[in-house]
Amino acid sequence: MEDKDTNHSSVSLKQVPVGYEFPPSRYELDGLVVSKYVEAVGEQHDFLTMGIVPPLAIAACAMTATSQSFVVPPGSIHASQEFEFLKLVPIGTTISCSGKVANKLERGRLNLITLEIKALDQDQEKVLTGKATIAVPS
Amino acid sequence: MLEKPRLSDIHQGDSLPSVIKHITQQDINRYAEASGDFNPIHVDETFAAKTPLGGTIAHGMLVLAYLSEMMTQAFGSCWLEEGKLAVRFKSAARPQDTITTSGQIDSIEDKDGIPQVNCSLECCNQKGEIIINGRATVKLH
Repeated sequence: MEDKDTNHSSVSLKQVPVGYEFPPSRYELDGLVVSKYVEAVGEQHDFLTMGIVPPLAIAACAMTATSQSFVVPPGSIHASQEFEFLKLVPIGTTISCSGKVANKLERGRLNLITLEIKALDQDQEKVLTGKATIAVPS
Repeated sequence: MLEKPRLSDIHQGDSLPSVIKHITQQDINRYAEASGDFNPIHVDETFAAKTPLGGTIAHGMLVLAYLSEMMTQAFGSCWLEEGKLAVRFKSAARPQDTITTSGQIDSIEDKDGIPQVNCSLECCNQKGEIIINGRATVKLH
């Protein structure tokens, strides 16, 4: 998946405050992108023939877009994940993915950082929302 | 197009159709290429060997895709259009692991006239260790 925007800044995840918004990234979900994704996950359903992007492929874009915007300290763990799929996305759609820091909690030697992510299609309609919690060593 | 299941065919307590996948380092590398996530803990065996994990691990999102495949198998386009997923990553999947997904329909409720199916989900490795567990919700239009 190739990000069509190249002006990412990299900031340390531990230092970003609650409310910080990561810069959006755009992805063109063409047949090649979907084909590579479907092959990588060994998906048995024929999304290419259906002309639909698998929702987890959109989720992967959104996660990659967000994670490329910050530096993840070594030892960090992807602790939990939520996604909501809001509409079918046809192959060929260009999506814009963005994220923000929703919450930060200290738990012993770990910082639990919750990121809110979303993906919009070219009509600015939400196609996916989600939350990821990353446990970062203090 | 995928079939939509009929409400009359869905019952509380029903099991969802399992998906079984064997993970190799090549699969993990392929997922890194497809997703753009080249974190060295996934793709650099030398780096990963020196970490507390002792070796590379699969992307959580790769294993999560297996759960989504199970949900697609069970609920067709209803899952793709309006699925909802909330999971915890309990432990890491590693190269040479065989991952089996499982799930069960916990309840079926009416939400503003639309049937909503609530499921519990799990992914385990060949030792029975839980890799991911959580819940999913599907609206049956």
